[in-house]
Amino acid sequence: MVDIEKKKKLDKLFQHIIQQNLSSDAWAWLADKAERIKTEEKTLQLNLSFARLPRMSGKSNLIVQPEDLAKIAALLPGFSLQGWTVDRLARVWLLMQLPDVDKMVYLKKIKNLFTAAEMNELVALYSALPFLQYTEEWVSHCEEGIRSNIGTVLEAIMYHNPYPAHALSAAAWNQMVLKAFFTEKDVDQITGLKERANQALTQTLKDYVEERLAAHRTVHPKIYELLELGK
Amino acid sequence: MCCNDNIQERNAGERDQSALDLNDISGMRFFDPHIHMTARTTDDYQAMVDAGIIAIIEPAFWLGQPRTGVDSFKDYYSSLIGWERFRSSQFGIKHYCTIGLNSREANNEALAEQVMELLPQFIFKEGVVGIGEIGFDDQTAAEEKYFRLQLELAKEAGLPVQIHTPHRDKKKGTQRSMDIAIEHGLSPYSVIVDHNNEETVKEVLDRGFWAAFTIYPFTKMGNERMVEVVKQYGSERIMINSAADWGISDPLAVPKTAALMKKSGIALPDIELVSFRNAITAFGQSGQINENDFITVKNIDQSQKFESNSILRGGQQPRIDKNSIIIK
Repeated sequence: MVDIEKKKKLDKLFQHIIQQNLSSDAWAWLADKAERIKTEEKTLQLNLSFARLPRMSGKSNLIVQPEDLAKIAALLPGFSLQGWTVDRLARVWLLMQLPDVDKMVYLKKIKNLFTAAEMNELVALYSALPFLQYTEEWVSHCEEGIRSNIGTVLEAIMYHNPYPAHALSAAAWNQMVLKAFFTEKDVDQITGLKERANQALTQTLKDYVEERLAAHRTVHPKIYELLELGK
Repeated sequence: MCCNDNIQERNAGERDQSALDLNDISGMRFFDPHIHMTARTTDDYQAMVDAGIIAIIEPAFWLGQPRTGVDSFKDYYSSLIGWERFRSSQFGIKHYCTIGLNSREANNEALAEQVMELLPQFIFKEGVVGIGEIGFDDQTAAEEKYFRLQLELAKEAGLPVQIHTPHRDKKKGTQRSMDIAIEHGLSPYSVIVDHNNEETVKEVLDRGFWAAFTIYPFTKMGNERMVEVVKQYGSERIMINSAADWGISDPLAVPKTAALMKKSGIALPDIELVSFRNAITAFGQSGQINENDFITVKNIDQSQKFESNSILRGGQQPRIDKNSIIIK
């Protein structure tokens, strides 16, 4: 979903930010692993380094210069590193280094990471969706992530991630928005919330409001705003 | 079924300290037709038996995250009719289960195909009282496909169906589930529609289905609301359950709700129907519920072992004092 030129620029920017946030030793380790991953046929280095990464990088919050934030926003509207940790960005960047010429191999390698991922790995994998090749191949993974009950995983998909709005069908998109309300997420952080308002979602939200009222529960004020948009 | 839903609500509510007094319900028997015991502890079993629960149904569900291979399903189904059933019996509670491919995991079609091949091996095992819990979650095409296939399986097997209705877009999801069950020629009387609320109950009952209510804090029904539902709709074809699992849920939801109904002046025969008898009538259509077993399971044999593994190991006291700091 990001063209090659922009992806190259983002790759460079991410690398620059990671370097600024890592010790020189940690960066040396990561750069070495990235080189190995680019050339290995199998998955040994990828699997080892993807899992091990936070032990080397630490998990502190990313510090990003305002001019870099602005550049990223211009290259990929709707995306932001707001609230990210260094290991999260480093993992995403590592995935961006994977050779993608052989589609089957590329898909197999990343899908395998999904099946054995722990929570922070899932966060990184879903955060990486906008930067992966073969955009349409990740739709079912994104949908599966929306079914997750793990808050941070949901937020990785919902917050400042342009992939869902770009790639999901209306039905899956609507599920994500509904789930955001059900799990009390900050819906203002959902990229594309207004642009993708639609009639089916409006109807479902109306039913939801009625159900909440019947159960003597409060209704999120944002729902009424969305109902207005969907008219 | 759970987790991080409505956190603000959960934290905002003031603590109401009207404790369950077991004396209020002494002598009453309860059947919880929906509870995920694999997610619960032995303390829960103990508390359940103390509160008068004598039999339960454990519907097959997911594990809080998607399984990645068919053998995980096989081992799970085996555990429902094996270790978990034995564990339950050691506390004197008769354990039944329903077997099915849950809606969430129906979305992994490659895996779902393999699970569909596995199901015929399990649905006629002893104590399997239905196909469940199946139905819709996100209401996707894949969910519909495997819901329909399992309804056909239930029809062929002559087994009741336990339908999970979605959290989100519930009203439409519930209507659609019933439409599809009818379309496949199932008798509404063999279908238990679960997780109802005030918005769905009328149509479920009007169309002749069983209406189950899950008393689950914050996300589904509260039991004060349940009392109002029974006052309005009576006790015919209505049943209550806890759906207790690994979320903030309550394995005593059925006895607590019965106690509240009693306090609220609902007649005892009605309470018995919604908290015991109706579940037996509905799931008993499987031919797998023999009420004599509720009594025989009470004769707990401490020396009994399951694959040489026992909860109540020889010599250990079956009851422990939870208030003591000494653990013997």
